[in-house]
Amino acid sequence: MISGLVQILLFQGLGELITHFLLPLIPGPVIGLILLLGFLALRRSVNASLDEVASTFSQHFGLLFVPAAVGVVMFWPQLKAHALAIAAALVVSVVLTIAVTALVLKALSRASRK
Amino acid sequence: MNGQLTPGFPNIYEIWVYLSGSPLLALILTLGAYQVGVLVYERASRHPLANPVLIAIVLVAVTITLIGMPYPKYFEGAQFVHFLLGTATVSLAVPIYKGLSAMRGRILPLLAALLAGGLTSIVSAVGLARLLGADSTIVGGFVAKSVTAPIAMGIAERIGVSPTLTAVFAVSTGILGAVLARFVLDAVRSREWWQRGFAIGVAAHGLGTSRAFSVNAEAGAYSSLAMGLHGVLGAVLIPVGARLLGL
Repeated sequence: MISGLVQILLFQGLGELITHFLLPLIPGPVIGLILLLGFLALRRSVNASLDEVASTFSQHFGLLFVPAAVGVVMFWPQLKAHALAIAAALVVSVVLTIAVTALVLKALSRASRK
Repeated sequence: MNGQLTPGFPNIYEIWVYLSGSPLLALILTLGAYQVGVLVYERASRHPLANPVLIAIVLVAVTITLIGMPYPKYFEGAQFVHFLLGTATVSLAVPIYKGLSAMRGRILPLLAALLAGGLTSIVSAVGLARLLGADSTIVGGFVAKSVTAPIAMGIAERIGVSPTLTAVFAVSTGILGAVLARFVLDAVRSREWWQRGFAIGVAAHGLGTSRAFSVNAEAGAYSSLAMGLHGVLGAVLIPVGARLLGL
């Protein structure tokens, strides 16, 4: 468990360094993710400790959003004047995005199978 | 005055002051609320409307409002949880890696779907908000909203729109996506787990991914792939697109 966490933190740190000095466009954690992915592809295996930490994180990913999201809830009253337009845009857009992505995938994967 | 010298059980107010001065209260509140959310979610057989994150957010927001704890004070303690968001993002490399061999033959459909979904997200939100008369500050906040919040804020800065508003819309989108995805996917008759997961990840980034993992591991892996790709491509393409369109 601990050695997996250390590996992940090291890649996160590396990602942050690269963001800071080389690639300010892409956030550190994303670079860390890409680097770790490259590392795993080179080693061709995931060690048990890393696997354990990663699956704990992915199971409870949502928890980590709570502190920021509470701020969002606190911010909403400030948007009262436009609440209807915003809510409509958010709901319609997310529904359309999910539908379009799923339909394109379905159509293309069917086409490639033929 | 040294509080600990008071004989007998200390005044509740002192405990209160002590706890609120440390990160403990915010941490207990955050983890406790999430625990309640998970219990309700399990009890409701993982129904999407009983989203554990949504329940936790509402519980914490109501509690800190009732006890008069200002949000910055709460965040000061809860930042330890927030910090792990970056660490958890890095760890997504593991499920992506495990799903990689299965993904190989699907790269083209996945990229095409991502581009179509990403464009739909921007065009529909910006278009509808404009149509309904929202002002340009608010409309700007919709541009990067389907990208995961930390990346979305970076994009917002680059294209000169409000990062705060963008984060608000990104998180709201994530929650809506996590709650609504199943109904939308059933309506368009998407049946394969990998397709369902990818669609959630494109539209609703990390919060959608969390939901996807709780339903099916393959859906979760594809959702995290979608979120990562959307983040990286969005960070590059959205600023370029915004410049070309003169936004």
